Amino acid sequence: MITRRRFLEYSALSSALLVSRPLLRSGFALPPAESAEAPLRLAIIGSVYHLGSDMQFIADRFLVGYPLNGDWHMPNVQVVSVYVDSLVPKFGGPLAWGWRQEGFHSARHAQGKSGAPSGTSTQVLEPGPPHPPIAHSVRQRRGARSLGEELPENISLDTDLSRARSKEFGFRLCRNIPEALRAGGEKLAVDAVITVVEQGDYPTNDRGQNLLPSYDFFQQCVQVFQEEGRGIPYFNSKQLSFSFPEAKQMVETAERLHFPLLAGSSYPVTWRLPDVDIPLGAHVEEAVIVGVGKFDGRDFDALEAMQCMLERRKGGETGVKAVQLLEGDDVWQAGRDGRYSRELLSSALSRSDTPLGLTLLDGRNQDLVASGALPQLVKDPAAYCIEYTDGTKATLLMLNGAIMDFNISARVTGKGMVSTQFYLPPTPNVTNTACLASKIEQTFTTGKTPYPVERTLLTSGILEACLDSRHRLNQRLETPHLAVKYQPPREPQYVRT
Amino acid sequence: MAQNKTSTGKRPKLAAVVTSIRLYSHPQHIVDRFLDGYGWNGTFHHPQMDLVGLYVDQRGEGDLTQELIDRHPGLKVYPSIAEAVTLGTSKLAVDGVVVVGEHGRYPQTAMGQAMQPHFRFFESIVDVFRSSNRSVPYFNDKQLSSWSFPQSKQMFDTSRQMGFPLQGGSSLAVTWRIPSVEFPTGATVKEALCVAYGGVDSYDFHALETIQCMVERRKGGETGVEWLQAYQGESFWKAYEQGVWPHSLVKAALSRSSTLMPASRIFTDVYPSVKQMRQLVPDPTAYRYQYRDGMLATMLLMNGLVRDFTFAAQIEGRSQPFSTQMHLPMPDGRTSLASFFSPLVHNAEKMFLTGKAQYPIARTLLTSGLVIAGVESIYQGLRRLETPQLAVTYQPSPESTFWRS
Repeated sequence: MITRRRFLEYSALSSALLVSRPLLRSGFALPPAESAEAPLRLAIIGSVYHLGSDMQFIADRFLVGYPLNGDWHMPNVQVVSVYVDSLVPKFGGPLAWGWRQEGFHSARHAQGKSGAPSGTSTQVLEPGPPHPPIAHSVRQRRGARSLGEELPENISLDTDLSRARSKEFGFRLCRNIPEALRAGGEKLAVDAVITVVEQGDYPTNDRGQNLLPSYDFFQQCVQVFQEEGRGIPYFNSKQLSFSFPEAKQMVETAERLHFPLLAGSSYPVTWRLPDVDIPLGAHVEEAVIVGVGKFDGRDFDALEAMQCMLERRKGGETGVKAVQLLEGDDVWQAGRDGRYSRELLSSALSRSDTPLGLTLLDGRNQDLVASGALPQLVKDPAAYCIEYTDGTKATLLMLNGAIMDFNISARVTGKGMVSTQFYLPPTPNVTNTACLASKIEQTFTTGKTPYPVERTLLTSGILEACLDSRHRLNQRLETPHLAVKYQPPREPQYVRT
Repeated sequence: MAQNKTSTGKRPKLAAVVTSIRLYSHPQHIVDRFLDGYGWNGTFHHPQMDLVGLYVDQRGEGDLTQELIDRHPGLKVYPSIAEAVTLGTSKLAVDGVVVVGEHGRYPQTAMGQAMQPHFRFFESIVDVFRSSNRSVPYFNDKQLSSWSFPQSKQMFDTSRQMGFPLQGGSSLAVTWRIPSVEFPTGATVKEALCVAYGGVDSYDFHALETIQCMVERRKGGETGVEWLQAYQGESFWKAYEQGVWPHSLVKAALSRSSTLMPASRIFTDVYPSVKQMRQLVPDPTAYRYQYRDGMLATMLLMNGLVRDFTFAAQIEGRSQPFSTQMHLPMPDGRTSLASFFSPLVHNAEKMFLTGKAQYPIARTLLTSGLVIAGVESIYQGLRRLETPQLAVTYQPSPESTFWRS
């Protein structure tokens, strides 16, 4: 188990190393472009490789290809090594055995010795103890039930697939992250890294934050980069960190070490129904996005989907000055008080294909706002109220019980309402992850990120601040630390072709 | 004779003539949208017209008619089609008719085709048009006639002769496309293909309209179909392996699918080999047909492999196939609303308001005939059939009518 303590310790360690081993800037340039035939070597590191896990959806794309532009695209990559965190035996202490691998600062970690296997083995990982099932919410959101139908007898939704994939595709299953990056050798042996950390059996703190080890994984990679004197393109799935300072440090590290860092959710890049975006440079007064889920990662997805549209407004992104997370009846009262536009709410809901309540009974269409049905259907509403520095306001409404999809409407001065659905294709394919895979591949092959990581940085910070607000009894919180400024890509980056 | 009521400022009055109203039946989707409204263009849209008369051909278990009337006091149910369109008077009393001949239980022909009552409904309504010396825009969901091409042709000819707009067909022609692309007008096309699911004499119609709404925009417009041949079972796989239809188009279409079944259940999205397709699809059907201008088209029903409708075509001058998915938000567990009925109803509303069909009914005449030819080819042991009756020529609507806003 990766704990907060271990996390902080490692953080301190890496800072110390930065001081003691200053890096040669020139050493961090991208490796020279390889010949057209040589595949890009990948390391994929993540939490769990179960059917329906985020890691399975993303990693498989680089093993068996994915649909892109009306063709079945086989990326010119070779997955060299994979690290699956859930397979590594955990001892409850702050340090797992993997940290002392390969003579790598082992002296500093003597306290983690108890029960740890030898760290110098280069053999492929043997099956570990049974892994506890992933959180119900994670499985539910992927429609895992439908995935589970007709599974072979010896396979369940909790079965690790990385061993079978390793045999089939010939990649190295690694005991730790440095080993994955070095593919068992002494030197960095991959050209790019994909990290897919997802909610599961990581601990949750008193603010309701799942302590995902994204930062921890990143720092371990950076450690190797530093030892090698060069960084390589890095993809981090979903939020950078549950902690804004750590997320910020990740962005700064990538900048300092000159390696492309792409991050975020698949929602910003998936199909839209209709195919529309905020016109670049438009003045956006307000936006409302509706969705489902609560404090389970889908709030991040929704917030980032909204962010990728709002960042296109006049002046680009200037950051967020305050947030407030409302719950229960306060959500409806906020609507009556004009804290968010009920017209935009109705507009966003008009894009939904999944109204519940009476629609389930007789198939009818419903204007859930005008009919007054929303408060009856949604027992536990949440509103993530966001005040941007430039005056634009935005609200994410989590409406469990009313709908099952994600839709946005924004009021654009002079253009009226711009609204769309972020289309999440069904299981088994979940092809929004193919859209994301193409952006990852683009980053790796060009060495340039198609959209700025500051989008994910700001969204990570917004989510953390909203959960802080909740923890402080739903107070409005000023967020001067979220003055994140950046410019959007000129062309929309969601899939359109 | 068609009247445009918007010019008079009056809200058009409509009558609906339908088979049966049950949860997720076509009549429920369509009638509800006129009465309750639906999401459109980013607002909750209420049609600017009043559905006031209703005839339901079959009621009984699961019938939602009474619930519909309770909810909409302005709606009245009539015991006959004539009374529904005259609102119980002696003359046509509505400004448009909405006809849904899909669903319900009707007898079958010797070839196994469901004898849906489109033509019977049409005749009853046109009788009133004639006796009233007035006709109004006519919306006809799905096929013209499901089992008789002469009936379809008669419906088509009658609307021409009497001068009332007739519009309908499949929602596949007007729903979202992923990606949101229109077929290039005037393109030269060699081959087109649709991969779909569902049954013969059922979803084959939707798959054929998927192809037709695209290829009708090719160079010269529509010329009609010369012959058709069905393939099933071993003959299907033999034809597949021999490349009777281009594998490149199958690959392009399947790469647009969101529901590609993995051959190995421990994967979630992987492209299948033909051998794996054989395992996944126990009962495939293909209709392969040639247009009179030489273009070839193939419709594949591959239950077990996909649960969506995808289209691909070889267009001269393009190295890659042109392809898209006709997206159906389907209330089979994927959604709760069949939102693809919204663009179908919206185009019908436009017809009622303008007095003009938004897209050619000749498309639906041709596809109705193709389905019948397909079923007949199967019935005759997968024989190739010459189709001189399908020399249907027409030009597409210049404007795109699929859902994109």
